[in-house]
Amino acid sequence: MFKLNLKIALRSLFRNKVYAAINIGGLAIGLTSCLLLLLYAGYEWGYDRQFKNSPDIYQAMINLNDQKGEVIRTISQSQNVMLAALKEEFPEVLYGARITDVYKRLVANGQESLKLDSRYVDPDFLKLFDYHFISGNPTKALNDPNSIVLTETAAKRIFGTTDVLNQKVRFENQVDLKVTGVIKDLPTNITYGFESLTTFTLYENLNQWPKKPNWGSHDYYTLIKLNENTDIEAFNIKLKGFVGKHFAAAKEDVFIYPLTKLHLYGTFLNGKSIGGNIKQLQLFVGLSIGILLIACINFMNLATASTQGRAKEIGVKKTMGASRSNLVFQFMLESFILTLIGILLSIILLEFSLPMFNRLLGIEIVFDYLNPTNWILIFSVLVITGFISGSYPSFYLSGFNVIQSLKKSLNFKKGYALTFRQVLVVIQFGFSVVLIVATITIYKQIQFIKNMPLGYRSNGLLEVAHEGLLYEKFNLLKTRLLSSGAVVGVTQSSGSISNKNSSVRGLGWVGMSESDKMIDFDQIYTTHDFTKTVNIRLLAGRDFDRKFASDTAAILLSKKAVEVMHLKSPVGTSIVYQGTKRNVVGVFDDIVWGDPSKVAAPMVIAYADISDVITMRLNPDKSLSESTSIINKLVKELNPNFPVEIKFIDGLNEIKLKNEKILGTLANLFGCLAIFISCLGLFGLSSFSTAQRIKEVSIRKILGASITELMTLLSLSFLKLIFIAIVIALPVAYYIMNNWLMHFELRTSLNLWVFMATATLTLLISILTITWQTYRAAKTNAVDALKYE
Amino acid sequence: MIQLTNIEKYYASKGVKNYVLRLVTTTIKQGEFVSIMGPSGAGKSTLLNIIGMLEEPTYGTYEFLGEDVTSLNERKRIELYRNHIGFVFQAYHLIDEMTVYENIEAPLLYKKIGSSERASRIADLLDRFNIVAKKDLFPNQLSGGQQQLVGIARALAAQPSIILADEPTGNLQSAQAEEIMTLFKKLNQEDGITIIQVTHSEKNAQYGNRILHIADGVVKEDLAVLS
Repeated sequence: MFKLNLKIALRSLFRNKVYAAINIGGLAIGLTSCLLLLLYAGYEWGYDRQFKNSPDIYQAMINLNDQKGEVIRTISQSQNVMLAALKEEFPEVLYGARITDVYKRLVANGQESLKLDSRYVDPDFLKLFDYHFISGNPTKALNDPNSIVLTETAAKRIFGTTDVLNQKVRFENQVDLKVTGVIKDLPTNITYGFESLTTFTLYENLNQWPKKPNWGSHDYYTLIKLNENTDIEAFNIKLKGFVGKHFAAAKEDVFIYPLTKLHLYGTFLNGKSIGGNIKQLQLFVGLSIGILLIACINFMNLATASTQGRAKEIGVKKTMGASRSNLVFQFMLESFILTLIGILLSIILLEFSLPMFNRLLGIEIVFDYLNPTNWILIFSVLVITGFISGSYPSFYLSGFNVIQSLKKSLNFKKGYALTFRQVLVVIQFGFSVVLIVATITIYKQIQFIKNMPLGYRSNGLLEVAHEGLLYEKFNLLKTRLLSSGAVVGVTQSSGSISNKNSSVRGLGWVGMSESDKMIDFDQIYTTHDFTKTVNIRLLAGRDFDRKFASDTAAILLSKKAVEVMHLKSPVGTSIVYQGTKRNVVGVFDDIVWGDPSKVAAPMVIAYADISDVITMRLNPDKSLSESTSIINKLVKELNPNFPVEIKFIDGLNEIKLKNEKILGTLANLFGCLAIFISCLGLFGLSSFSTAQRIKEVSIRKILGASITELMTLLSLSFLKLIFIAIVIALPVAYYIMNNWLMHFELRTSLNLWVFMATATLTLLISILTITWQTYRAAKTNAVDALKYE
Repeated sequence: MIQLTNIEKYYASKGVKNYVLRLVTTTIKQGEFVSIMGPSGAGKSTLLNIIGMLEEPTYGTYEFLGEDVTSLNERKRIELYRNHIGFVFQAYHLIDEMTVYENIEAPLLYKKIGSSERASRIADLLDRFNIVAKKDLFPNQLSGGQQQLVGIARALAAQPSIILADEPTGNLQSAQAEEIMTLFKKLNQEDGITIIQVTHSEKNAQYGNRILHIADGVVKEDLAVLS
């Protein structure tokens, strides 16, 4: 029985090639999208879970409180003394490590010198994470302060080989380190990634300030391993007031949070996790299920639409003694065969699309054929898809009445009542419509933010790191750069103009209220020529000027800052900043410094010779390549030990919209796929439907209907469905996208045209899809259709 | 074997009952070869369908092999199809995706007959109907007469006690029709299979031994055929 059914299923597939191609093609695309998104979901889900200790690693987090003790903000960095204090006072804490932010550090060995993503960590870092050591001993690798651990790729880039144990490298052009370990490259889905690891003690030796116990500054990530049986909630209750005990002025509480949850549930509000990337993950999983469903709906629709062809078979089989379950089984089998072919095809498609998908999202997913989990995933997708696709057709078809099916007089409901099949088409297109609206809205929002005035001119602006010998030679560099003609402005600052990196509170001014102490001001340090180079508009007063010696104690305020401070005539007043008195010499227009979708925070620009970045404005009269090569040469000349890395501010600003861009690309990609699969189904469905109505068409033709009239007649029944789908989906899309836009302080509006465009586009695509079928039907020779009656 | 008592069938449409069959009462015994005749729309096919349990009468009782089958549950009906009733259709209704061999095999699969038994029965039927050479062909590669032979072979495969045939020669040329009717007669006489056929042709009716004339849903005449 099984064998015969299998044979028949394959034969009928072969016979109805178009039908099979539409079905399998749609399924394969749907399955590929689904697998891709599920793999991605798995990748996100696997964040920080790769290590043996993963479930027991916790991160110390800090809740910053206001005067009343309410949590204002939760930060993931803690103080340099946190770890030692925790270890000392709580026996539950077995061990732990402090970790610095990842930073490009210069590593050289005489021949090669390059910048590696580096972190300073405590030696127990290697105890927390059981990295795969190719060489070296993980228990001792970071015990000597002057040691360095490299990843496989980093070692190969410097030395050309991984066999580099005990080799010497020059670090930051300051100190010689010994390579004490080479580890296998890290997966990309970990929070604390790096290319090289050095010891925290080295960090303290190279810089004086990290060594001093300091409860006032939050700069490091603190990870701890807890005793396995620790009750986390109870432990967190014990931690209340812990910081205050050591540092009375602190208005903050430390708590521990599982590392494995940090990535997905890392957004905090009022001290409680309110999600994070998990939302995106849920969105993707929802999307994958939706697309698969669309493909399944195709299958169901086409299978039930082909009833005319199958009716006889069902009738005959029933008179031969086939039970309903026999027939259900047969149709299920057919659905599973199709799904199986679809899935095999989708694995091939997956291989081709994964690299592109990875590039798009900036991630690294591979489909591991040896991993049983992947096969379980595929098998479950197969079972679910086969079952969903097969269920409706099998129960629908197997329920046919024998006499009607043999007489070919199966009645299809006429009138306004929607059949199940029509409902499915409505669902398919409704889903596609929502995706189109989403794509347009996301795109519109990105454009909106991009087109927001930055408050400075980012075009032609670039920056290099202020490091090494450039500190002492900054003025020389500036003179040489300007006289070379490559640039028209050079300035130094404590942070990049493109990214918010510092804020301060506790400013003082005349007429302030108590609560004003808690206002956070963005802050940037610079010396001269900052506003001129960056092209920030001055609204009042002037920039820092060499002519005024007193300007070393001057400060500039942003428009917003003046607003929140309620200053009537800001220029000339003095304010208290970082505990010292500063003269306000100018007011500048607000700039976009942090999150571009947020309303600008009040900002101060303070004079101080603290610098990390050198920013320059290109000479518009010179070609870009010429200018950059001059800059490269001049910087290299003065600071030969560091590779020069020129970054364009436009590019840096672009990166800030990365998440939205990814979302937009995904919505676009999968929206197109959803529409495509839906149209495949519509194509198949319209071909069946017109075939069924060919007699009607022929009679109308004999009665004198024109081809256009016939095409309209045939198309209308489908366009009606698409129209219903649009009417239902547009409000849903409005609701969803309105919600999404609420995440942004600065947001575009959802105009009518978005919805009009979506409706028009969907109708247009649908009309194109069915036109071919209706045209063919309308052109058929009436005699051919009627003579078989 | 078949006992129909006061069978009525009507379709209600807008409050009006359209009678197809009225008070049909008849008995068909084991081994009979009955032809149901009458003009178009007389209710011949409906009567055959009721006998074949494809339709239920609106009123009346129907006993098959001494058992009341007027309204039968699906499982029981399938049981009867598998073991007692074979259908032959005017349009043959072979399954296009199956070869001749597979078409004949299908009812045996539903009846869960073992594979060796199946093979021998099919071989036997192919042999008897002279279609061994055609066993791997698909229905659309056969002539109408050949297709109907396969249809009959399929109906016989499950070794039914009764064959219900709805105008079995309606689509055939006269020479092929004669061949089929001769075959029916032989099956009836040599194998003792009860046959009920619906036919328009007086000539075909002569192959049987009893004719039921129906007009307007009523049995007008019940004649024995003299051979």
